[in-house]
Amino acid sequence: MSGGTMLYGGDEIGALVFDPGHHSLRVGYAQEDSPKAEIPSVVGIGAHAPETNLDPETKTDNNVTPNNADSRKFYVDTNYVNVPRSQMEVQTYMKDGMIDNWELFEKVIDYAYANVIQSEPEYHPVLFSEASWNVRNNREKLTELMFEKYNVPAFFLVKNAVLAAFSSGRATALVVDSGATHTSAVPVHEGYVLSQAVVKSPLGGDFLSRQCRQHLEKHGIDLSPVYRIASKDVVKERDNARFTLRKLPENLTQSWQTYMQQLLMQDFQMNVLQVLENPYDERVAAQIPTVHYEFPNGYHQEFGSERFKIAESLFDNAMLGAGQLASTSVGMCDADVRLSLFGSVVVTGGNTLIQGFPERLNRDLQLRAPSNTRLKMISANGTVERRFGAWIGGSILASIGTFQQMWISSQEYEEAGKSQVERKCP
Amino acid sequence: MASGIVVSMKCKNAFEQIRRQKMHRYIILAIRGERQIEVEIVGPRDANYENFLEDLRKGGPEECRYAVYDYAYYHQCQGASSTCLKEKLFLMLWCPVQAKIKDKMLYSSSFAALKKDFIGVQKCIQATEMDEACRECVEDQLRSLDRD
Repeated sequence: MSGGTMLYGGDEIGALVFDPGHHSLRVGYAQEDSPKAEIPSVVGIGAHAPETNLDPETKTDNNVTPNNADSRKFYVDTNYVNVPRSQMEVQTYMKDGMIDNWELFEKVIDYAYANVIQSEPEYHPVLFSEASWNVRNNREKLTELMFEKYNVPAFFLVKNAVLAAFSSGRATALVVDSGATHTSAVPVHEGYVLSQAVVKSPLGGDFLSRQCRQHLEKHGIDLSPVYRIASKDVVKERDNARFTLRKLPENLTQSWQTYMQQLLMQDFQMNVLQVLENPYDERVAAQIPTVHYEFPNGYHQEFGSERFKIAESLFDNAMLGAGQLASTSVGMCDADVRLSLFGSVVVTGGNTLIQGFPERLNRDLQLRAPSNTRLKMISANGTVERRFGAWIGGSILASIGTFQQMWISSQEYEEAGKSQVERKCP
Repeated sequence: MASGIVVSMKCKNAFEQIRRQKMHRYIILAIRGERQIEVEIVGPRDANYENFLEDLRKGGPEECRYAVYDYAYYHQCQGASSTCLKEKLFLMLWCPVQAKIKDKMLYSSSFAALKKDFIGVQKCIQATEMDEACRECVEDQLRSLDRD
């Protein structure tokens, strides 16, 4: 690095990239291909004071964050959250794509530094991704938190839609992101989000999970998650499951049980659901080979047309389905960028991994776009690229030599305060 | 959001040569050393579009590039009997699907810098596959700028 304007060596100092989402927080070092860890966006909150808890499992817990103000214990990351514990509530810190519960969020960041990064925060510049509709208050608060509490040497905040577009090789694109809690269409023009034309709907992975649960419960299928099962016998298809329940601690909270069941549903929907290329038609759906799924209790059966019927709700136009979402967003942009947006539709987010999602979006958009429009869908092929698109983009950006001059440095923060984030990271 | 990569003086000169003096048909640009954008290939005035596509991919099927092309075509205005020759400059961002994500990221995040410096470009074209970079597609887009 020779330039006098360079504030950091960049290449020598590993920057960190954080990509918070509703399903998980992705954490890792810049320049790597995939995040080091994916931490669920929920924190388990135990009610017991640490000394009264005699559970042998928690004794060896190096994860527990003692808090002097209150005696609650916090459990972060899959290995700790997914353990049945009496009176442990599960709570998420995200709301509407933004960080909402800062107390819990800090616990997760603490955990990430201690167990994933295993280094001191003051050595690493930090790049965060954010939702395109993040509000000023929130952005400033995050900046403040990183500089004041973690003493990071430099900080940067980028909209995740911009990262997704860039990592697909586009400076102008319509980014359709379907995640856990919502699906959004975000127009990016020359690297900037056209924020007035962002459209989002609550039809996401969690919505599908609820639909799946309702459907399965209606058919009398027992949805006991793995933690409840001690042993199971092999049974014939559609035969009643024979299994024994595990001995569990008392007073498991409702929120934790719901969370565990949701994990099961996520697995179910990823394996079973599929979107038809054309609107749902019973006859077409019935001809497609069925998919077999075994539940944790040993019950198993084939799923046929219902797997299309459930997924169809993602494209339900009465509820702002993905196709309508995208075309509405484009319609709100200036006429001269509309064509280039239709010409590069980037599909990203974990929920788009449902089979057939990009193809169906393509078809729905084709119907809504002006007749002579060239439509082009861009979606990463690999699961990792699709789920971590924004993280990977951030990882590369933070490692580019010339990017080192873009960071907000701790010096700049001290001189001008948290409002720097609005100026340097538009 | 930009990457901070700068456009070299030579690029700007080559662009002016093509825009004002019509010395070249096209120029192909590449990012060198993750620092700045430099001229890779200069296409002579008598080169055609096929030469251009060849040169664009000369670095290999996984390489991203930028390009400026002075595209000429005949246009017939509505109501006029004769056609007139039009020449339009377009700027292309070529990020093939197979390219490494790192390169895609570098090139797309630095596109804005190029646009800012190349004043007089009539159309920006992003391409990830040949069907977006082909003559018909490009010509369509340029023609759509004309009033009938």
